[in-house]
Amino acid sequence: MKNDTIYLAGVYTRTIMKSWFQYKVDAVLRSLAVFLREATGIIVIYFTLLKFESLNGWDIHELLFLFSLLFLTYGILIIFFTGLRDFGRTVRNGGFDRFILRPRGLLFQLIFSNADWFAAIGHGSLGIVLFVISAGNAGITWSPGTIIYYTAALIGGVMIQGAIFLLLASLNIYLLETNSLKELFYWNMRKFAGYPVSIFHKAIQFCMIYIVPFAFVNYFPAQYLLRKEDMAYPSIYMYLTPVVGVVMYLAAYGFWRYSIRYYNSSGN
Amino acid sequence: MTKLYPYLAFVKKSFLGLSAYRFNHFMGILNTILRIFIFWEIYRALYGGRTEVDGITITMVATNFILSMGLDSVFFVNDYYLPDRIQNGSIATELLLPVSIHGRMLADNLGHALFQLLFHFVPAVAVSVLFIGIAAPADFSMLLLFLLSALFGYGVLWTISFAAQMLSFWLINVWSIMTIKNVFINVLSGSMIPLWFMPDWMRGVIRFTPFSSIYFTPLQIYLGQLSFSEILHGFLIQFFWIVILLSIGMFLWKKGQKKLVVQGG
Repeated sequence: MKNDTIYLAGVYTRTIMKSWFQYKVDAVLRSLAVFLREATGIIVIYFTLLKFESLNGWDIHELLFLFSLLFLTYGILIIFFTGLRDFGRTVRNGGFDRFILRPRGLLFQLIFSNADWFAAIGHGSLGIVLFVISAGNAGITWSPGTIIYYTAALIGGVMIQGAIFLLLASLNIYLLETNSLKELFYWNMRKFAGYPVSIFHKAIQFCMIYIVPFAFVNYFPAQYLLRKEDMAYPSIYMYLTPVVGVVMYLAAYGFWRYSIRYYNSSGN
Repeated sequence: MTKLYPYLAFVKKSFLGLSAYRFNHFMGILNTILRIFIFWEIYRALYGGRTEVDGITITMVATNFILSMGLDSVFFVNDYYLPDRIQNGSIATELLLPVSIHGRMLADNLGHALFQLLFHFVPAVAVSVLFIGIAAPADFSMLLLFLLSALFGYGVLWTISFAAQMLSFWLINVWSIMTIKNVFINVLSGSMIPLWFMPDWMRGVIRFTPFSSIYFTPLQIYLGQLSFSEILHGFLIQFFWIVILLSIGMFLWKKGQKKLVVQGG
């Protein structure tokens, strides 16, 4: 770590902010649009629960709490991992070659030269709103213990999704085009992730727990805090989120280090 | 008829252009099936063993999702057809061509829709029906009226986009507007929450919007929930929205053309 690392990260961030906020009305509209687009699922579940009262034993506040974990982790994730989410484009247009030539770590540059602040604000503020509405009403008792648990679960959730992005970014070095894989394994699975995993078909539950482990991002942490009756999985899973996050991230990071040695430019 | 010929060529071109991306297309079908499947599983959990809620059976709910999400894949609208051309300046050449740009836009979208109908709707609905099941149409005449009403539903969806696209004459970036528009369509058209289950006050609001005309009116006809006079009423409302939205679009088009400035070549 060189001593001007933090300074450099600051410069990157200011530059991104400046370019995003060049058109102020557009910036506000964009944040609003991301906010509303992401809120679609929430609005739908809200109206549905007005009619049906509970989903497999989860009431509206408990479901909103489940959603809030998903949005908060994504809001934090996207500040750091936009560069990896969009890495395919960087590789295809040769932008990655520029990064390699600079005297700084590749991940450092990828992380700090791209941060999707609109997505971060859109998702993050939605997460905070949902958390504020639901956390009190869902009957969670906050103590120093649960606060530490919650923080660790949030970080674990960010690392799990970060590891998925890092893994897919590494695959880009071999495949050039991984958007369809990302669509299949990340975005499609994420569509299920707002709901209690217990309501889905066994095959989907298996995917959500062991393959693309979104269940560890929100379902198991929420279970630790809420203790719902549909918890038909080993109770140790409620404590594993940070472990899964760290293990997945280290594995993905190892694969990344291994893969960049094989990087061939896509050409001019 | 010869006047229509160039537009038919555009339909064909757009249709054929799509067959190039097989893997993406396959993913799209999978996506539609997954969406239908997710909502069906959610509703099965919500029903929790009950056969019906407010007179709506779980099969009717499945039919709602299969048809509205199936039609959603067919009802192709390129929200950025005009915005892209205004932004990159190619609108200037388009305006010089002896074919109407609106006709071309429609033809392009129709070619896409036709492709989707054959290669997306059919497989996605077939798989969903196989695994989930669907209610049969009330009778043959209702099936025909459903098809006609679905065509008008597409008209409503298309004209909403048509009017919204005109805003690109005044805005640098219409992505936000289009995204917000699509949120309204998703929530209020019944494709994500069957409108039977909307609270009464929301249904009151939705009555004054074009959104329920897109999928929900055709669906109600399909299920035989509407009498002939109600069906006629439904058609009139669809027709009303198409005319209104098209007029707004054309009005903005005339205004916008006057202030159009194309930067560079």
